[in-house]
This record gives sequence, C-alpha cells and structure tokens, in this order.
Amino acid sequence: MNHGTRVYENVFEMMPSEENPTPMVRLNRVNKSSEFPLYAKLEWMNPFGSVKDRAAWAMLKDMEERGEIGGERGLVEPTSGNTGISLAAMARARGYHMRAVVPNKVPLEKKILLQIAGADLEVISDELCPAPGLGDGSINLAKTHAKASSHKYAMPNQYENEKNVEAHFRTTGPEIWKQTEGKITHLFVSLGTCGTASGTSKFLRSKKPDVKVVAVQPTEGHDVPGLRNVTQLGVSKLFDSSLIDDILEVDFRLAYTRALELCQTEGLMAGPSSGLILEGALDIVMRDKKGFGVLIFPDSVFKYTSNMVKHIPRLGERTSA
Amino acid sequence: MKGDMARYANPETLVETDWVKENLGKPGIKLVEIDVDTKAYDAGHIPGAAGFNWQTQLQDQVRRDIISKEAFEKLVGGAGISAGDTVILYGDNNNWFAAYGFWLFEIYGHKDVRLMNGGRVKWLNEKDKPLTTEVPNVTPTQYKVTQTHLELRAMLPQVFEAQKSNWNLVDVRSPDEFTGKVIAPPGMSETAQRGGHIPGAKSIPWSTAVGPDGTFKSPQELHRIYVEQKGVDLNKDTIAYCRIGERSSHTWFVLKHLIGLKNVKNYDGSWTEYGNVVAAPIEKG
Repeated sequence: MNHGTRVYENVFEMMPSEENPTPMVRLNRVNKSSEFPLYAKLEWMNPFGSVKDRAAWAMLKDMEERGEIGGERGLVEPTSGNTGISLAAMARARGYHMRAVVPNKVPLEKKILLQIAGADLEVISDELCPAPGLGDGSINLAKTHAKASSHKYAMPNQYENEKNVEAHFRTTGPEIWKQTEGKITHLFVSLGTCGTASGTSKFLRSKKPDVKVVAVQPTEGHDVPGLRNVTQLGVSKLFDSSLIDDILEVDFRLAYTRALELCQTEGLMAGPSSGLILEGALDIVMRDKKGFGVLIFPDSVFKYTSNMVKHIPRLGERTSA
Repeated sequence: MKGDMARYANPETLVETDWVKENLGKPGIKLVEIDVDTKAYDAGHIPGAAGFNWQTQLQDQVRRDIISKEAFEKLVGGAGISAGDTVILYGDNNNWFAAYGFWLFEIYGHKDVRLMNGGRVKWLNEKDKPLTTEVPNVTPTQYKVTQTHLELRAMLPQVFEAQKSNWNLVDVRSPDEFTGKVIAPPGMSETAQRGGHIPGAKSIPWSTAVGPDGTFKSPQELHRIYVEQKGVDLNKDTIAYCRIGERSSHTWFVLKHLIGLKNVKNYDGSWTEYGNVVAAPIEKG
C-alpha cells in the first residue's frame, strides 16, 4: 500500500487514518470571516462514499476477530443508507451476506445503491403515529432478525456498538488534530448514531479540553436521512451529552438550500446533512467571532437528487426538451 | 372508582414478560401479537404466538368500523382460541395496537384478556427471552361471542353529549396536535379538515402513562399525573380519543384498568372523524 502514489492491493487499504486522512478544504465564499476560518472535512472521499465507512470497518473487523460472522452467518443492520452501503460493500468483498432494514422515507437512490453495494433490502413502513424516543421500527426489526434467526444474522448495531465511537477516536479525531496542527477550537457535527460526535470529541478534548463541540440537529418532521432530531436521540446509546457543548436545532429545509450553496459556490458537492452543519457553523461564527472550525461533512449530494428537487423545486424545472 | 392508589384497579389485566416466559406453552394460555406492520411478527415472535394485522384483521375492510362479531369469532377461532382461554396480547408501537386489541376482546366479551407490559420491544431487548420465526400449529375452535359490550365504545353522538354533560374528555395526542398547530403528525395521510381539540378536552399525551421502557408507571404515579395534576375527575364518565383510535386505546386501558375509572369509552372515530364533521365545535390552543 502506498498513500503517496495511491496504489493499493485491495480497497481496505484505502481506509482513512492519520497517515491517509480524508481531505480538509477551507470554505472561502460561504464564510467570509478571516478571524474564524471554517474547514470542511470531506468524508465522501472515503472508499465507499461516506463517514460511515469508518464505523462500518471497525465493527466488521471486530466481528471477524470474535468469530461472529462467517460461513452461513452474515449481517443484518438497521440503516438509513450510508452504513448499509459501507457494510454491504465491505461484507460482500469479504464473502458475507448482508440484510439492510431501511425506513420507507429513505430516498430511492439510497435504496437502489444499497442493492448495488450488495445488500438484501428490507423496507419498513414509517411510523403510523410516531412515538419519539421509543426506538424506531427499523432498529427493532433488525434486532428481531438477529435474535430470531441468529444462525443467519449477526447485528453490528451501529446505535449501541462502542466500536462506532472507537473508530472516530482512533481515526477522525487524530486526523483532524494533525491536519489543523492543533489549532482547532470548534468541531461541528451532526447527530445520527452519535458515533462521530462522541469519538471525535473524546479524542480532541483529550488533546485540548476546551475544544467546543457543536452538534447541529434538524427540526422535527425532517426527512434528512441519517440524522436525528433532539427528540429522537434516545434510540442511540452512543449519545453522550457531556461530550457536546451546544446542540443547535436548525430548520431542516435549510439543509437542502445550504447544500446547494456549497455545490454552487464552493465547488463542494456536499449532501444535505453537510448543509445543515454549515448553517449551524455560520451561526456560531457570528456568535463567537473568533476561532478555527472544522465541519465534518458526512457525504456528497449525489444520493439525494430526489430530496433536493422536493425541497428546491426549481431544480426540477427545465429538465425536459 | 374501583381499587385504591396502592395497586392497579385490575392488576390481573397486566402481565410481565417474566410471567409470560414462565407460562409459555401451558394449556389455556394463548398469546397473540397485534402489529400495524406484521413484518415484525414474521421476522420473529414469541414462541406459540398467533399474529394479527391491526389494519386488515381488526378493521372492517369496507366501511370504517371495528370488525363485526362474526368476523371476530372467525379470527379468534382461527387462531385456536377458546372462550375459557387466558389471552395475552402484545405488539409493536409500544402496545398501542395490542391495547386496541384488548379493547376489542373486551367489547366482544372475552373473559380473561391481559396485556404484556412493555410489549414487543421489552421482550426483544431482554436477553433471556426467545423469539422464533416458526408459525404455531393451530387447531381452530368454534369461538362464539356470548355478550357484547358496546358501552366501551364512544360514537359521535355520545361525544357531543359528553361535552354538554361535562364528562372527562382525554385527548392523548401530541401537544401540537391538541393545540391545532398540526392536524396530524408529519407525513400522515389520514388527517382532518381542521386542527384543534374537542372543547373541554384535557391534553394528556399517551406516553405520560409509561416509562422509557414502555412499561406502565406505578399506580401512585398514574393517580398523581392523571387525577391530581391533569384533573381527571374520578366521579365522571370519560371518553379518550386520539387521531385514529389506537393511542387512545392505550389510555383507555390505563384509565379503566389501571386507575379504575368506572365508565371509560374509547372514541375510535377520534380526530379523523371529529375534525372532519361539519359544524362540530372545536377549540384551539
């Protein structure tokens, strides 16, 4: 493996680390503050297209080491898409089958991509009358498969697996520390399983206790896949509020408009969760005035064209002769 | 009101997961899982449990109504249940649909029906509780309904009457639905023309009755919340409602069998009926 020439013997050698970090790019046009520069860490540059590659790889390796998978026994996981894509592609590349349980509201592109990556898809209908905090249908259905058909399935369980957090403690955090030469003052993240926030925060604070960790959340009723509103965080056992300084709730529609802005002004093809994080970060730039911010951009916009058109209808105009 | 604050009014209507595990497979004990999405049952259920689909098997498929007596007999008999059996109900979405099933079993006069505290999710998360994909071998019975208790059900005229007679009206929807800020939870297709609540109703969301693991709060806590804090009058008749009648079944169970109010009805038409009725009075805020 040679990170300098980018030549690898297999896809797993490309996984990120301090020696092979995902790139960070300064935001020059959406953030005009010279006193508070913002750098976006582009997690879509990971081999399978998102920040979830890190957690997926850590969980998969751990399950292999413990003999949890192999032979007839593959994986089942509740996933809004990115973890499923990472896990499916990794699992299939190593000879295991994988079942992805997905809520209906996930965009069509992700459902198709999951199957392209090698997952057997199971789509569950959205809650009839949503009951915040009680655990959602896709998590419980995946757990049911793992329990009732344990000869066939093991569940990594990204919402409870400490390897998710550890992945970011061992890779994302050290990368950011090295890339910013210790200058980081603010970390901006979104919250889904909360692995990224918890692991990265833990590492950075071990180096610099006063790093501010700001988590950005969509308003209730959002359709930004992978993210959870503050009322839904109970489902993730990895959420540790002591590792977060601020949770900002942002109108979920801004996720899409800001993502478009990133694409069209910075040349960064960022997805809606990145747009949401940007909105929150700009609020903090105005509030705190001085700092050095790193935004973790989870994935690119390519999987979200149908959601983008839903929220920015003009994108759908002039699309036929 | 029956009972006192130290215990649930009808403690025999509630069973714990450990009790269910100890009594699995015993004669006269029949488990039924009631889900809105039976993928859950198919993926894995408590050994021996039959599975009912709330949407297709507990609802009349032509008009908006509960299933008829004849349909209930066919459904329950087909699941191998006899009139003398102890029926244990549990299900998804925190037992909402199992509670609806409980209400239906009681309407059709089944003597011994109980709810498993915590529902599917609690059983799923307990390491010692098994799940299976095996469909139970059932010997159908000739189930006969011998009495019907429609007094457990509120229809629209009674809802209007209840307003005049100052009954307890308990709205178990979210605060935003109650105030009329939203007509229904986001993304729901079954909604109404207007938002708000029935005049005089108290807002007591269904989740008030349970802890984080979905099990019901203690008798003392329930009394403190519903009676002392929210002002439910123990001496009045009561109607519980929500959007489509399943969250309100859960609260109906709490009010009737745990707190012990004497006359509690579930208004299954709920807001999808009331919020569409021409000239029905509505309060907002």
